[in-house]
This record gives sequence, structure tokens and C-alpha cells, in this order.
Amino acid sequence: MSTTVVTPETPRERSVTGAIGSAAVRVDGAAKVRGEAAYAGDLRFVGMLHAAIVRSSVTHGRIVSIDVGAALAEPGVVTVLTGEDLLDFDPYFGHAVRDQPILAIDRVRFAGEPVAAVCALTKAIAEAAAELIEVEIDELPYVGTVEAAIAPDAPLVHDGPPRPGSYLGLTGLGDGTSNVVFHQEIAWGDVEAACSAADIVVEGTYRFPAVYQYAMETHSVVADWTANGLTVWAAAQHPFLLRAQLAQLFDLQLADVRVVVPFIGGGFGSKSYTHTEPLAAMLSRKAGRPVRLVIDVSGSMLTSRRHDMVCRMRTAATGDGTLLARDATFHMNTGAYADNGPRVTFTAIEAACSPYRWRALRCDGSTVYTNTSPAGSYRGFGAAHVQWIGELQVDEVARRVGVDRVALRLRNLEPRGGPVRPDARPLDADLLGDVERVAKAIGWDEPLGAGEGIGVALGLMPGGARPVSSAEVRCDADGGVTVRVGTTEMGQGARTVMAQIAAEQLGVAADRIRVDQPDTATTPYDSTTGASRSTTVAGKAVELAAADVAARLLAIAAEWWSVPAVEVVLADGWAGHGSRRATFAELVQRGFGFSGGELIGRGDVRSTPDGLLPVFWEVCLAAAIVAVDRDTGEVRVRRIATVADVGRAINPQLVEIQDEGATLQGIGVALHEELEWADGMLVNDSLLDYHVPTTENLPDEMICVLVENGDGPGPAGAKGVGEGAHAGAIAAIACAIADAGVPLDELPATPERVWRWLAPAPVEAI
Amino acid sequence: MALPTFELHRPTTIEEATQLADEYGDDAVFHCGGTELLLVMKLGLAPYGHLIDVKPISELRGVIADDDLWIGATTTHRQIEQHAEIRDRWAGLAEMTSTIGNLRVRNVGTLGGNLCFAESHSDPATALLAGGATVESRRGGETVRSIDMDDFVTGPFETALRPGELLVGVRVPRLPDGAILLHRKIRFHERAAATVAISIRVNDNRIEHVRLAVGAVGNRAGLVADAGSLLTGQPVDALAANAIDDLSHAAVATGRPVADAFGPADYKAHLLRVLVRRTIAEATALGMS
Repeated sequence: MSTTVVTPETPRERSVTGAIGSAAVRVDGAAKVRGEAAYAGDLRFVGMLHAAIVRSSVTHGRIVSIDVGAALAEPGVVTVLTGEDLLDFDPYFGHAVRDQPILAIDRVRFAGEPVAAVCALTKAIAEAAAELIEVEIDELPYVGTVEAAIAPDAPLVHDGPPRPGSYLGLTGLGDGTSNVVFHQEIAWGDVEAACSAADIVVEGTYRFPAVYQYAMETHSVVADWTANGLTVWAAAQHPFLLRAQLAQLFDLQLADVRVVVPFIGGGFGSKSYTHTEPLAAMLSRKAGRPVRLVIDVSGSMLTSRRHDMVCRMRTAATGDGTLLARDATFHMNTGAYADNGPRVTFTAIEAACSPYRWRALRCDGSTVYTNTSPAGSYRGFGAAHVQWIGELQVDEVARRVGVDRVALRLRNLEPRGGPVRPDARPLDADLLGDVERVAKAIGWDEPLGAGEGIGVALGLMPGGARPVSSAEVRCDADGGVTVRVGTTEMGQGARTVMAQIAAEQLGVAADRIRVDQPDTATTPYDSTTGASRSTTVAGKAVELAAADVAARLLAIAAEWWSVPAVEVVLADGWAGHGSRRATFAELVQRGFGFSGGELIGRGDVRSTPDGLLPVFWEVCLAAAIVAVDRDTGEVRVRRIATVADVGRAINPQLVEIQDEGATLQGIGVALHEELEWADGMLVNDSLLDYHVPTTENLPDEMICVLVENGDGPGPAGAKGVGEGAHAGAIAAIACAIADAGVPLDELPATPERVWRWLAPAPVEAI
Repeated sequence: MALPTFELHRPTTIEEATQLADEYGDDAVFHCGGTELLLVMKLGLAPYGHLIDVKPISELRGVIADDDLWIGATTTHRQIEQHAEIRDRWAGLAEMTSTIGNLRVRNVGTLGGNLCFAESHSDPATALLAGGATVESRRGGETVRSIDMDDFVTGPFETALRPGELLVGVRVPRLPDGAILLHRKIRFHERAAATVAISIRVNDNRIEHVRLAVGAVGNRAGLVADAGSLLTGQPVDALAANAIDDLSHAAVATGRPVADAFGPADYKAHLLRVLVRRTIAEATALGMS
């Protein structure tokens, strides 16, 4: 495999210091390579206990009894926790809906749901004791799929209307009379009229798989409940939201809950919000000692996954290829608990709108409870679900009209500044130019080999989530600079980028700036690390905070040298004016008149300048060439090009790596990965049976088209990256497979499925 | 889940190993690499209290490439893959071995361990069948007996070994002059959906000798009995289409596909037919050159 970065046609405007736009060395790299990076599961504390979970073997049922006697009698077992320990407070948590108990209470809602937990001196003792716990459950009828869950008279997964969680302003929750926990739509124009007047209507039902995010590090947490408060060391993407959930759950003040984030071994959305941390906290409270809870891969697959989805969609167009209407109705399977399902669903509704000039549109999405493991966030959520479907239909329109698929897209796209949907930010990217760039990069007009197909797919997804981030930048008495920001480093390179952003303002080398993982006791608030928002929003806060410190340094120098502050420059770790120079240390000393002291700068981002959302539209654009083996059904990605429309690449190398990772995970979803249930049980819960892409599945060639138009709201005109390419890659691969003559309507396009889709006649018997 | 506790024994002779196996009975298992055994123990599927590590037994060790090839049971896949004589004279065997698992597995896993575990997707089992191998086994206090490879694996996770009997080594005959051994698989997951191994000799455009084995589709690898009669004497440059069709159907009949995590039976049967066709084409082209 080779990777090419297509650089912009015009030379990048040089940054003042060179810190922005350079492939700075990763600040977290050396520790990871040397094995010195401590992840949550590596931490050890005096008196720490190890926990093991007892999971339900029943898909849906009433808990009759839990016998913990034999487990408690085991030497080394300290305590056992069951639902009965949770009756003196409100033990339910959840981001969108407060529906998930710390442990199952009275009722289990999916096979694999935690029903009890054991704390012991060692993990082995805890696991052995967990085997001794006898759980008796009366089985209830269950719903394993969205179709079953929305059928009339389907058994209900939850009783009563959903209780809102901590998601501010969420509307569209269900009324508790069905398994639909959330429903929203975006609509304009008269879709029925447009469809009946159209020359072409493409219509179909499509399926998108449940997949596991597969971060290398599984869900891991250590909790320590003391009289002084609760501290958790958690592999958590959103430490401040986790802190708020724990405080609400245990009726504590925010200041009494401290979330410390160690190194994180990948997140991809799986470590968003709250999962196993309340259980670890509750175990520590009961045991009176620190408790370590590290879930294995199989257990992590049951902890968070991506929503599978069934979507009915139609696209209407005129005979000359003018797109008229889109009509999409889909149901997302959120499993037994809502987690982030409503947001995933709403993002899919927004993504289904797509940036074409529709006369009429109706995108209707529902989040549905079923008796399966809970589904939450995964890279590019929503857009990954629906973009491929819409783009398959646009391709089919082009085919029926007899127009080139790229030309048809260019003809129907909104230009920069055009409306995306009512009440939202207008299109803030040069999508037309991006389509032309990706077509050129993939070799759109070049001849294909035998069995090959080519596809291009575009879309938008809302980026930036909430524009709420704060940061501090500190200059110590020795001139050292530290950035405190709530963005979590999960492997994406956020710490390095934050150092580069601060370096640009302060005129020091990025590798001289310290950026640590968040600790809610000392790090300023940040809402989330997701939705490609870190560089754009948290980065903006860092830029403001660093500028604040720079202004203080300049003011001290200006006063010292009796010159205007605007004439003082910061470069190479010095302040200078004419022939005069002072180190940062000298300036801090001068400012305080003492050998100690520190300058602290603060940056707060509270809204977008124009008040519009999303913060930016993330471009989801890719093109792919695939080869289909018509004998075996195997699909291989020959070449794939993704567009990183990032406004400004703070670190081009990290941008490229983001697109590569997003693409490889896209290949997994498009071709290989799918969680499978049989009789309500997850059956492929190991890496033997669940196929994540390996080096064997790499494309022959990957091209990252870097677009730097300086049109982002972040530092130096940057905007987020890393999710759009995932949705784009899935869709481009799907379109390329269809172009090769495979009538696909379901992902992943496994060899077996492709073979069946291609089979001209009933399959020959054995 | 954590590996359950067990007692590890490290006998240095077959006699000691058999004695331990007799003593602990069903609670004991021979251990030779552990790349599969320890996994199933971790899953809680094989709660043995005693593991008898046979790697210290010198009688099970070594590779002798003479007129024929003898590979000791404790030889790792990596040793086979890198062995100069095997690479030279049994190239297909070395090549097959280099496709087993991954480098970490091949560095630890052994040929004997693989064959005795008798996982139905085993690559060596299929390749050795095509190569006409026999296995040698011995119980402590007894003499070595030879078992035809086709009789050795009797079903999934089942072999012809008696309790306390150890696989000593595998004997692979010299390939006929001009013959080649080829092992091919179709694999989309961790394990193959279909495997074909062929030993073939082409002389003057005629197929003179052929031995075809199929694996991974069913419960055990098997030799396609009709391969010789269907292909021997056939001209390579004009192989009758119906002969290939008949052969691929015979392969399916031998392989007896069953559904597993790597595919349903009808698809695996189809893949096997495709693989037979492709492997014959590749092997005959190689045999010609």
C-alpha cells in the first residue's frame, strides 16, 4: 500500500513561527513507543481490588433470585454487588435518556447485561467467584430487531415514558407506548407531489450493520470512593460529561467528583459518555477501597457498539438528471438503552438531507429499543449510516439518465454559501471544487480493469457539536509553557495539535510545550471530544488562552523597555525589541519582582460568532475503485481517495493519518464487520469470529486530498477532520461495488452476500 | 477471561509423559505450543487441571531431510517455514506453513500440536494428505506405529491416538521427480472457508500423477479418491471441462461442507469448486514450466 498526499495547488501561507502547518513530533509518541504510557488498566493503588462482572445469559427476563453466598465465601472475595444494593437512590444514568441502571434491577434487557459484580484481591479470584453466583431469571418475550420492536403489540423493552438525561434541549422523546424512544424529522416541500411528477424515482430498502468500534484498549476504569469524594481514572472521551453524570447519580457536587484521564488506547466514540464508571464507583463505595474494572474484548462488545439500521429511501429526479426530492425513513437499533442514540439518529437525519438542491425533502428517523446490547457513538455516526444509501440512489439516477455521475453531482450541488437545510449554517466549504479534486485524484476518466467498479460519494455531517470549550495556558517562572485543555488524546494527536496552536501564539517550539490529559480537578471545562471538534473548538480556546499569555508577556516587556507593546515580538522563546531581548523566565521574574510567579492565560469559546450551528459542516467525500471477484464474491479496494477539507492543516501528517484510519475503519464496515445475534445472543463476540480489517485488507493505494481554503472557524482557519472520510469511504466503496454490477442493498458487502447478489439462478445444491 | 489455574508437567521422555497421562486421565492434556489449547482454556471450554508439556522430549524433536522428510512433532511452524531443505525439496510444505496464523503463532505453534488439536480448518492436515504423509506415534513402553494421514484425524478435535499415546513425528515421502505440492485456501476470516492441496506431476503435457486433498469446508480434511482416475493421462493444455467439473463435485462430496462461522455450507461448497478449478489451473501451469 502506498499513500499519497495531494497538496494544495497554491502554496500554503506560511505561519509566523512555522508551528502551524508542520508535521510536529507527537508529544505522546515516545512514551507510547517505549511502553511507558500508563493506561487506566495499568494503574495500581494501595489496597486496590479487582472486579469481575456476572452477565445475564437471558435476553429479556425478570430476575427471580441472585445467590451470592458461594461467591462471598471464597477466600479473597471482599464484596459482591447486585441490584439490591441500588435501592436507596436513583441508580439510573444515560446521556439522552436516564434509562440504564448501574446493574440490572429486577429485569434484564439484553443477554450480557451486568447483573452482579464481585470485588476480590485479584482478578482471577474475582472471575472465579463470579462463576459461583447463581442467577435465576424468568424469561420474557424479547425483541431482537427493529422490525420486531416496532411491530404492533411488540413486547416493550422499557415501561413508561423515557426520562430525559443530561442532553440539554433534546426534543422528540417517545411517550413510552412503543419501543420508539426518539423520533424526529426534517422536511420541506411536497415530497409526494414531487415523486409523482418525477420522471425517475429510485426506491429501496437498505440495511446497515451493527459493528463494534474496536478500540485497542477496552473499557477500563479505576474508582476510589473516599470520605473526601469520588475519584475515577477512566478511559473516557468526555471527562466533564462523565463527572456530571457521576455527580448526578450519587448526589455529589461536581467538585467532589474528580475524573482523571490517563493515556487512552483509542476511542472512536465507544468511550463517549458513561458506561462502566458508575459500577466501578459503586463497587468502591461498597468495598471502601479503590476498585479496578477492566472489561475484556467480548465484554466491551456488549458495552458499546454502533447502531444497526433499516432505511427505506427514495430519490426523485427529472429525465434530464435534475434531482427533485428525497424521502428517507429509517429506524436505528439502539439496543436496550438509548445512550447517544437520539443524537446519532438526528445526525443521520441531517446527513440524509445531503447537500443537493432538493425541491422537496422528508428525512424521518427513529431510535428504537430492542433486547440487544446498547449502541452509542462511532466515528462519523449518522453520516456513515445513510450517505451510502443516498449516493447509491443518485448513481442510479445518473445511470437511468445516462449522465456521468460526477457531472450529475456537480449540476445538482449547492455552491458555497448555499442553503444546506433551514435554520442551519449555509454551506461553508467549496464542495464543487472538492468533487473535482477527488475525481481527478482517483482517475475518474481512466479506464478500469476487468471486474472493477468506480464510485464517488459525497455528503456533509454537522461538525463541532456544542461550541463550548475553555482552556488555560500557563507560563511558569522558568519560562516553561503548559496547556490545560479538556480535549482527550485518544491517539488522534490532539495533544500535539494543541501544542502547535499555543506555540504559534507564543513563538516557542511546539515540543517545548507541555500538554497533559485532562483532570477535571485542574483542567478547565470542555464539553466533549467528538464530532471532529477538538482542533476547531478546543483549539480555538487554546489559541485565545495562548494569545492571552502572549499579551501579558508583551505588556511586561513593553513596560520594562518603555516601548509600545505592539512593537515587541515573541520568537524562538524570547521577547525582543530592537537589540533588546528577554527570556520568558526573565519576563515572569520582572512581572512579579520575585523569583517565582506564573502567568495564566484563559480562553473561552461559548458560541459561534454568528450564532449558527453546526460549528462547521464536515465534508464527507471520497472516491474508490474496487475489484470484484465474481467467482468468490470477494471485493478488494484497489485505490481510494479521501478529501480532507480542513480549512487549514495545523499538522498535515496527522490529517493524513486521520483520513487513513477513517478509511480503514470504513473498509471494515463496507466489506467485513458485523455483529451477529442468534436467538437474542451475540454470537461473534471475539476477534476470531468478528473480522476487523487487517493489513491483508489494505487498499493498494490511498490518496489523501488536502484542501486548505482557510474557511474554518478554528485556529488559523482550521476545521475538523477524521469522521467525514469514514462516511465518505463507506459510500464510495458501496457505489464502486454497484458500478461493478453488484446490486447491493446491505452492508457489509461480504463475499458471501456479493456472491448471492450476483447468482443468476437459485444456488446449486451441494 | 483469565487462564484457569493448572499444574504444568515437563516430562523428558515419552515413558514419563504416558505415565503422567495415565495418572491424571481426563484431567490431563498434552501441551505442545498452546496456540489453540490455551485459547479454549481461557474461554473456559477445556478445564484441564494438568498440562503435560511434551516439548522437552528429545524423541519428538528435529527435522531429518533424507530420501524422505521426517519432522519431529515439537517442531514449530516457523522452523519448518525457514528450513532450507524443506524450502528446497518440499517447497509447497514450507509455503503452506508460512500462511499459518501469524508470525507470533508460527513462532510458538508446532506441527504436532496443530495435528493433534485436529481443528477442522488445519492447513498442515490438508497439505500433508496431498503429500502422502504418515504420522508416527508411540505410547510409553510400546514401539512406534505408523498411521496413514488419512486415518489420523477422525473428526473435529478427534484423532486416532489412544490415551497416553504421543505423536512422535510426521513422515513425508519424497515428491516424485518433477512433481509439485501446492496448497491454496480461500480465507476471509481468521480461518479458511475452503482449502485445497494438490500433489501433481506433469510430463510431456500429460498429467502423470495427482493427489488432491480438500479441507476447511467440513469436519475433517479428506483425499479426493477420484482425482487420479479423472485427471491422470489428461492433456494439460486441453483439460476437459467436464473432468474439472466432475473433480470439483467429487471434491465437494469428499469435503462434505458444513456451516460454521466462516460461511454456510452452500457457499463453502461453491468456494471449494472455485478453488479446485483455480488450483488445478495453477498447478498444471507450474507443472508445465
